[in-house]
Amino acid sequence: MLRTKSVTHRYGDQDNPVTVLNDVSIEIAEKSFTSVVGRSGSGKSTLLSVISSLLKPEEGEVYFKDNEITELSKVEIDKLRRDEFSIIFQSHHLLPYLTAHENVLLPFLDRIKPVSSKLSNHGLKCLERVGLENMADRLPGQLSGGEQQRVAIARALVKSPSILFADEPCGSLDKATGNEVMAILKSLNEEGLTIVMVTHDPLHAQMASRVITLEDGRIAASRLRNLSAL
Amino acid sequence: MNLFTIPLRNLGRRPLRTILLTAVFTVGVMSVVAIQQLSTVVGNNLEEKMSKFGANILVTPKTESLSVSYGGLDLGNVAYGAHELESSPVLSAIKGIDLKERLSAVAPKFAAISKVNDIPVAVVGVSMTDELNIKTHWYPEGRFPQAQNEILPGRMAAIKLKLQPGDEVNIEGNKVKVAGILDPTGTEDDNVIFMDIDLLRNAVGRPGAVHFIEVAALCAGCPIDEIVEQIVKAVPGAEVKALQHVVKQRMSAIGFVNRMAWSVSGVILLTACFMIGLSIFSAVNERKTEIGLMRSLGFSTGSVFSIFCLEALFIGSLAGVAGYIGGFFASGKILKTLDLGKADITFDPFAFGLTFLAVAALSVLSAVIPALRATRVDPSRTLVSL
Repeated sequence: MLRTKSVTHRYGDQDNPVTVLNDVSIEIAEKSFTSVVGRSGSGKSTLLSVISSLLKPEEGEVYFKDNEITELSKVEIDKLRRDEFSIIFQSHHLLPYLTAHENVLLPFLDRIKPVSSKLSNHGLKCLERVGLENMADRLPGQLSGGEQQRVAIARALVKSPSILFADEPCGSLDKATGNEVMAILKSLNEEGLTIVMVTHDPLHAQMASRVITLEDGRIAASRLRNLSAL
Repeated sequence: MNLFTIPLRNLGRRPLRTILLTAVFTVGVMSVVAIQQLSTVVGNNLEEKMSKFGANILVTPKTESLSVSYGGLDLGNVAYGAHELESSPVLSAIKGIDLKERLSAVAPKFAAISKVNDIPVAVVGVSMTDELNIKTHWYPEGRFPQAQNEILPGRMAAIKLKLQPGDEVNIEGNKVKVAGILDPTGTEDDNVIFMDIDLLRNAVGRPGAVHFIEVAALCAGCPIDEIVEQIVKAVPGAEVKALQHVVKQRMSAIGFVNRMAWSVSGVILLTACFMIGLSIFSAVNERKTEIGLMRSLGFSTGSVFSIFCLEALFIGSLAGVAGYIGGFFASGKILKTLDLGKADITFDPFAFGLTFLAVAALSVLSAVIPALRATRVDPSRTLVSL
């Protein structure tokens, strides 16, 4: 479904370049749950940015459904982000002046045409999916950290994406709340959603069907896990 | 919910900032509207007053060569009655043109060479009431003529003829009395005697004749050429000339008022636009994460650009409406308070619409640079901890 071919990316200036991704080639299968782990600075968040189309790598190619996304125009990238990809971040990034329901519908607020009642109901169902149907009218400031992250997950689900990218989704949550969020992600994957998650938490990484370990911008290990045995 | 929801909600999120920014822009628009309204009224007033200091259009009989010795008239020729107009039809025609409201005075004249105390002198027959409408700068020693048999010699003519107010002289067989002596004007008026037009032309046997007509027209908002054209059509046998130097002098005074008004307006608007631009600029900087998030959700650069331009548009629209209404009432008040002229300011829906559109367009224009900056926000830098 998604694959990279010899992706290399550097930061810094020409005199002092820092290679954060070095010849990385991975493949993400449809309906899989992949976690990317590694120490700070290992390049996992950069890898997530590259495969989610947020960042164009200096070298290498990224393919989604056999189309090279690194060669797409800005308009095509926008369409890809709008129709196929969804991303959740360590910080929920909810707009503070929109209610939970409105935040969920944010992906549809990029046009003059008003959001239809059908889409609005779909937004409510997404909130229901993450257990927040009773908090639709609350502003982010009136929600706990875990609830805010669940709203962010609902916002990611509302577009019915092909693939969900998660960058340290539980990084700013306590253990119990983090486990709740992980349970939601796990069940979404069981329903058929492809997920790629960056995490530094080994326990959360173990919930994925495949774990990719990055070290100094290179793939150090890639292990498939037999989850049915767990 | 649609694209408008984001800018509207964001403006509502910081009501104080929004109110202050709108208030500043409103005051700017209000000042501009008031200045423009005042400059129009003051300009019209100024012109009305200036037009009383002489004519700016001269109507003469059609001739191939007309030498000028007084008011553009060859007195040597007129003595033979060769170049004359019929008074009544010509005056009626002039006063009947489409732009007649623009004519502040129409003063016919009949000139002749006569002898007073055996000294040759130019005598100009005028309708004193009409003449005084044009020559508001005249001031007499004694008084202005009130009866048909009273005359008003210019200062130089009076010295030459040794005339004093109250003296009686004979002009073309008519015994007339000096009502007053004209104070020096520095013009040809100092060298002639003014007397009643009917008395003079009857005396020289040319009843109803007129040699030239001076017209004072208000030119603000209406080109003098248009008035001239209409008089030419109304009086086919006449030559109509705009005294361009007079017109230019007046228009330059009015132009100065207008230029000043536009300059001040420009500075005010520029400052207001700068404030809007600055505010949107700071909003873009504060909301980089939000912009990055929207870009990651698939918002196009056009959508992001529109959000910030719409914020400016909402403020501009509000300021446009409030500013015009405020400026409209403020100019009326200022005119009344400062006694600058007749407060004949009327609500003009077209001007209102134009102001609204111009202010809205300016506010959007002010937001273009910061909005463009917003489109360049890199979502990977603002959202992901790399």
